[in-house]
Amino acid sequence: MIIETGNLTKMYGKKVGCSEICLSVEEGQIFGFLGPNGAGKSTLVKVLVGLLFPTSGTAKILGRPLGDLGARRKIGFLPENFRYQEWLTGEELLHFHASLYRMSPAEKRRRIPVVLEQVGLGGKERQKVGAYSKGMQQRVGLACALLPDPELIFLDEPTSALDPLGRRDVRKIMIDLRRRGKTIFLNSHLLSEIELICDQVAIIHKGKIVSMGNLEEMLSGTVEVEMQVEGQTPQMLAELSALSRKMAVSGRFIRQSLDDRKDVAALAGVVVRNGGSLFGLRVGQISLEELFINLIQGGGGKRAVNGFDDV
Amino acid sequence: MLSMALMTFKEVIRRRIILVIAALSLAFLALFGTGVHYGFKEVAQHQGPLVTMFAQQFLSLGLYFGSFIVAFLAIMAAVGTISNEIESGTIYAIVPRPVRRSEIIAGKFLGYGFMLCAFAALFYLAIILIIQLNTGLSVPVKPATLGLFCLQPFVLLALSLFGTTFLSTLANGIAVFMLYAIGVVGGMMEQIGYLAGSKVLIQIGIVSSLIMPADSIYRKIVYSLFSAPGISLTNMLGPFGSGSEPSAWMLLYTGLYILCFLALAVRIFSKRDI
Repeated sequence: MIIETGNLTKMYGKKVGCSEICLSVEEGQIFGFLGPNGAGKSTLVKVLVGLLFPTSGTAKILGRPLGDLGARRKIGFLPENFRYQEWLTGEELLHFHASLYRMSPAEKRRRIPVVLEQVGLGGKERQKVGAYSKGMQQRVGLACALLPDPELIFLDEPTSALDPLGRRDVRKIMIDLRRRGKTIFLNSHLLSEIELICDQVAIIHKGKIVSMGNLEEMLSGTVEVEMQVEGQTPQMLAELSALSRKMAVSGRFIRQSLDDRKDVAALAGVVVRNGGSLFGLRVGQISLEELFINLIQGGGGKRAVNGFDDV
Repeated sequence: MLSMALMTFKEVIRRRIILVIAALSLAFLALFGTGVHYGFKEVAQHQGPLVTMFAQQFLSLGLYFGSFIVAFLAIMAAVGTISNEIESGTIYAIVPRPVRRSEIIAGKFLGYGFMLCAFAALFYLAIILIIQLNTGLSVPVKPATLGLFCLQPFVLLALSLFGTTFLSTLANGIAVFMLYAIGVVGGMMEQIGYLAGSKVLIQIGIVSSLIMPADSIYRKIVYSLFSAPGISLTNMLGPFGSGSEPSAWMLLYTGLYILCFLALAVRIFSKRDI
């Protein structure tokens, strides 16, 4: 495991930053870390990169304890609320960070042009960082994180200041890094981005991990069905509800979450058997956004979604 | 550590801090030089030991305000070293790199220390040159006194670095300035104590030197410069003079003071959450 934590906890006085975090991240993947604002995402990342000290629990990165300098040489980090020395040029900034990584002059000469090209700042390295746009600053930050050709890269909201093209570029960089066997710990609000590229996902809420696993499996675990039914009866709705994990009704439309795709046919059977008329049936998979909202809001049956009343 | 020191030094140059300092220092030296030139011209019309005494008073005045400017610079440069970087977010990209937090503090100390040392040395030499050219007073350039003049800002640098690890920039600035003021006022009281023969004032001066030893270094410099044979003790009295020489133990205490606050800065910064 490239990251392994055991009951890792960070308290700010009596306030919970993150609590009893148990993570196991294998190498060579993009690990998405999700959560609403204030859930503890950045706290965990800051603990892992050594900005915060844990209150209790254990953590190992690249098989070494937190703060190990040898491990840090193989870690890249792009912070969320960063600012770089505005009076430096992009190239000077990279030279400074290369020195912090204790890179030799030959390594610096080799790596700096590579990362500049990688993040799309080739030819702009002589400009002052203060003259860079917010997106360019994010790119130069990413270049700093990629300098030592790290084994593990922590990216805290890496695309927050980027336009759609910039986001696509950063996604390409992440996919390319994964192809080369690197591990990326991606902290992002952008669910669509996570859904597009992540292999594993953990969702944190109120400082605790509420769900973690393979993204594909997490999303395929639930089948979403939407039916258009006329002639609904209480008996029909009760039988439909018994078959589903969650059900919501809005006029003629009934939306259900099923555990098994095989139950779709049974739903149609219930409607017909109870004298209803089935005008439409649409089967889909739960999106990450829906999964996220369900988890954060305490699971099924708690909230009407898109105008549907829970049953 | 060297990378941090170089970056700190580069920052001083790039942010035009050194340019502003150089311009203002030149303005001060020009004013001082003009004052000494015309002031001494008037005094030199008289004959006798009064002339030498005035020359020495001008020298101690120059060194006193020189010390003040160097101290001011040390505080202004270092007061927000860590707190500003935390507030701006610059530090978030530095601490996770493979550097010890102690190296960050030591690098900043060396970077600012080198700049302050060079500035203090130039300032000291400029004041001596102005005095020698305008008054003809022979002031020997003793490496020990030059070293002491350069040591002064390190006291305030170490104290500022200590404060910046846990206080906001403003709170740290106020705290260090207040401590410096305590040292200055205490030092003056001590000199008045020598003139008036007041043990209480002398004791106040000693205590204030322990709280902030920068002023006692200045007194040591003045005593060292004016302790040549033939110079009467009265020439060393007054607010800018030195009635008695601070001991070698005081120098040792100052060295320990610097090391102690530097070690505390490292300790606090190494344990704090960012």
